[in-house]
Amino acid sequence: MAQLSWQEKWTLRFAVVGLLFLALSGFEGLLMRTQQIDIDALKPMEGVLNAVRLGTEPTQEELFYSMMTAHPIVGIYGFVYMAIMGAFYYLVPFLLKREVRHKKLEVANFFLQPIGVMICWSAGFFGMFHSLYTLYWPLPVAFDRGMPVISTIAFSVGAAIIMVNILLFAFNLFSTVLSKSNPQSYSFWGFLRSAFGINRLLKWLGKEDKGAPNLDHNGLPVFLVAVGRGSIDTVINAFVLLTAGALILVYGLAALFKAPLDPGAVNALVYKNWYWWGLDMVADGNVLIYTAGIWYLLVPLLVGRELFGANVVKTVIMVDLLVSMGVWSHHLLGDRPQPGWMKLLSGQFVTWGEFFTMGLTIFAALMTIWLARPVKMTPPLKFVLASIFGFLMGGAAGLTQANTGLNMVFHNTQWVIALHAHTFLLTAVGSLVFAVLYTLVPMMIKKEYRFPKLVNVHLVLWLVGAITNAYAMGMAGMEGMLRRTLYAAGMWDPYVLAAMAGGILMALGLVVFLVNVIGTLGLGNVLRLFVPEKWLAKKEPAAA
Amino acid sequence: MSAKKTTAKGRPRATTPHKATESHRMDPREKRWLFVLIGVFLAVNIITLSPAVPWQRWLLWSKPEPAKSFAIEIDDYEFTLPPMEAKVGEYVEFTATSKDVTYGFGAFRQDGSLVFQMQVLPGMTNSIVWRFDEAGSYDVRSTEYSGPRHSEMLVEDAITVTQ
Repeated sequence: MAQLSWQEKWTLRFAVVGLLFLALSGFEGLLMRTQQIDIDALKPMEGVLNAVRLGTEPTQEELFYSMMTAHPIVGIYGFVYMAIMGAFYYLVPFLLKREVRHKKLEVANFFLQPIGVMICWSAGFFGMFHSLYTLYWPLPVAFDRGMPVISTIAFSVGAAIIMVNILLFAFNLFSTVLSKSNPQSYSFWGFLRSAFGINRLLKWLGKEDKGAPNLDHNGLPVFLVAVGRGSIDTVINAFVLLTAGALILVYGLAALFKAPLDPGAVNALVYKNWYWWGLDMVADGNVLIYTAGIWYLLVPLLVGRELFGANVVKTVIMVDLLVSMGVWSHHLLGDRPQPGWMKLLSGQFVTWGEFFTMGLTIFAALMTIWLARPVKMTPPLKFVLASIFGFLMGGAAGLTQANTGLNMVFHNTQWVIALHAHTFLLTAVGSLVFAVLYTLVPMMIKKEYRFPKLVNVHLVLWLVGAITNAYAMGMAGMEGMLRRTLYAAGMWDPYVLAAMAGGILMALGLVVFLVNVIGTLGLGNVLRLFVPEKWLAKKEPAAA
Repeated sequence: MSAKKTTAKGRPRATTPHKATESHRMDPREKRWLFVLIGVFLAVNIITLSPAVPWQRWLLWSKPEPAKSFAIEIDDYEFTLPPMEAKVGEYVEFTATSKDVTYGFGAFRQDGSLVFQMQVLPGMTNSIVWRFDEAGSYDVRSTEYSGPRHSEMLVEDAITVTQ
C-alpha cells in the first residue's frame, strides 16, 4: 500500500468513525423496530443495561423515545457530518492544490464531533432525555412532566459542542477556499455578496461590485462553489441550533438551581419557526448543495467528460442557496396559527424551488453521463446513480407532503420519516458517501478494491434494503401509521417486519463493504490509523 | 483532479466544452427540460390547490361558517372532549387548546386511516373546520409526540357522524 499523507490518514479516520456511527445508528433503528413489534422485547437486555444507568429503571416507552432522540443525532451528526468533514478536508485542498489552512482545527474537528455526539447519545442512554430532535417548545424544559434536568443540560452541552465544531469546520473551509480562489484579496462580506448573487444583481442593474469575487466566472471548480455556498447554510444551521440549545440550557440551569423559569415566556410558534428555519438549512440546504457539488465533481471524473452546463449549474447552486432560506414553513403546514400565506409561499411554492434546482442538477449529471457513452460502470459510478435515484424518490415524497392539501393526511405519518427522510439519508446520501469512498480509497492508496465482485453485492444489499425499509413504512404511513408513536401489538406488524428485513439487508451490505475496505487497506493499516504517530516513530528505529 | 481524456474503452474523448458551458446561457436541451419541470410544477400545484382535493374547497376557498364548534382541552396527556356529533356534509369546527406542551389532534377511521389532523400548540387557539363525507365513528389520537406517554393518547369512537 502506498504511503499515506497526513491528510489522507485523517480523511480515512473521519471515514472509519463515520461508518461506526452509521452502524450504531442502524443498530438503534433495528432495536426500535423490535420494540414496535413487541414493546417488552428488549426488557432482558435493558435489565442488564440498567446496571450502568445509575440505578434508574426507565419504562420501555422512555427507552424507546430516548433512543429515538439519540438516533438522528448519531446518524446525521455522527455518520453524515464525519463523512463530509473527511471528504471535504481531502477534496478542497486537493482541488486548490494547497493544504488545509488550519490543520489543528481539522484534528479538533475529528475529536469534538464524536465527543458532542456521544454526549447527546449518553443523555438519552443514561439520562433518558426524550424530547426528540424536534425539541418542540416547551417539551425539552417540561421538567414538571418528567423531563430529566441533568440529561437536558447534558444534551444541550453535547449539541452545543457539535454546533461549535461545525462552525469551526466551516470556518476552516472558508479560510482555505477564500485564501486561494481569486488573484485579488477580498473580504468575507465580499464572498457572501457573491455567494448570494448580489454582485450579479448589481451588474444587471449597471453597477459593479468590485469588492466581491466572482464565484461564477473565475475558474473555481463547481465543487468548490458548491462547498462555499452550501457552507453558508451549514453556518446558519449551526448558529440557529446553537441559540435553541442555549435557550434550553438556560432553562435547565435555572431549574437545577431551584429558580425555574416560565416556559410560557417563549412563544411556541415563533420558536418553532426559528428552529425549523435553522434546522432546514441542513435538510433542504447544505445536503442538496453539497450533494450537487459532489455529483459535479465525481461524474465528470468517472466518465471522462466535462460537466454538462458547468456555468449554468453554478447559478443553480446560487438559486438553491436562496431557496433554502425560505422553505422551512413546509414543516408547519399542520400548525393552524401559522399564517396561511406563509404556508402557501414558503411551505409550498418556495419548496418547489428545490424541484427546479435538483431537477436541473440531476439533468446535468445524467446528461454528462449520457454524452460520455460508452461509460464503464465503475463502483463509484454505480453508487452515484444509486444516490441520484434516492434523491428522485425522496424528493418526490418530500414534495408530496410539502403541500398545503396533501399534508393534511401525510404530516407526522411514517410517510414523512420513511419515504422522504430515510430515503434521502440512506438511499441518496448513504450511497453518495459510499461513492466517495469507492473513489477516494483507490486514489489514496494507488490500488483498486481487493474484491470487485463484493461491490455489486454491497450495492444490491444496500439498495434493496433501503428501498424495502422506506416503501414498507411509507405504505404504512399512507394507511395512517404515525411516526413517533408506539402502537398496540399487531396493528402494523407486517410493515414493520418488512422494514426490519430491509434494515438487516442494509446491515449486511455495510458488513460486505467493510470486509472490502479492510481487505483492501489491510486490518493492520486500519488499526494503525488510530495509533498515535509518536508511538510509530518510536517503534520504527527499534525495528530497523 | 483533471478529467480523463479517454473513455473506458480507450477512445479519445473530445475535451472542448460545449459552447453553452462557456456562458450562463442554457443549452437547448437544458431549456427543454426546464420547460418540462415548469409544466410538472404547474400541473401538480394547480391540481392540489384546486377543489380536486376535497378539503381545499373549504379550507382554502369557500371558508364556510361552521354549524357546530367543539372545544377540546388537552393537559398532561389527557384529552377533555365534549360529545362530538356531526352530520354527513355538515361543516363543524374543532378548536383545541393545550395547557402544557405541543400535541396533535387527529381524527382516524376505524381502519386506522387518517381523516384530518392539526398541531395543538400551547398558548394558542388551534382551529380547523371539517366536513365528514361518511357516517360512522371516528377515533381521536394525538398526532404529535408530547412525551413517553404520547402513545396512550387515543380516544376511541370520540366523534360520531350520522346521515
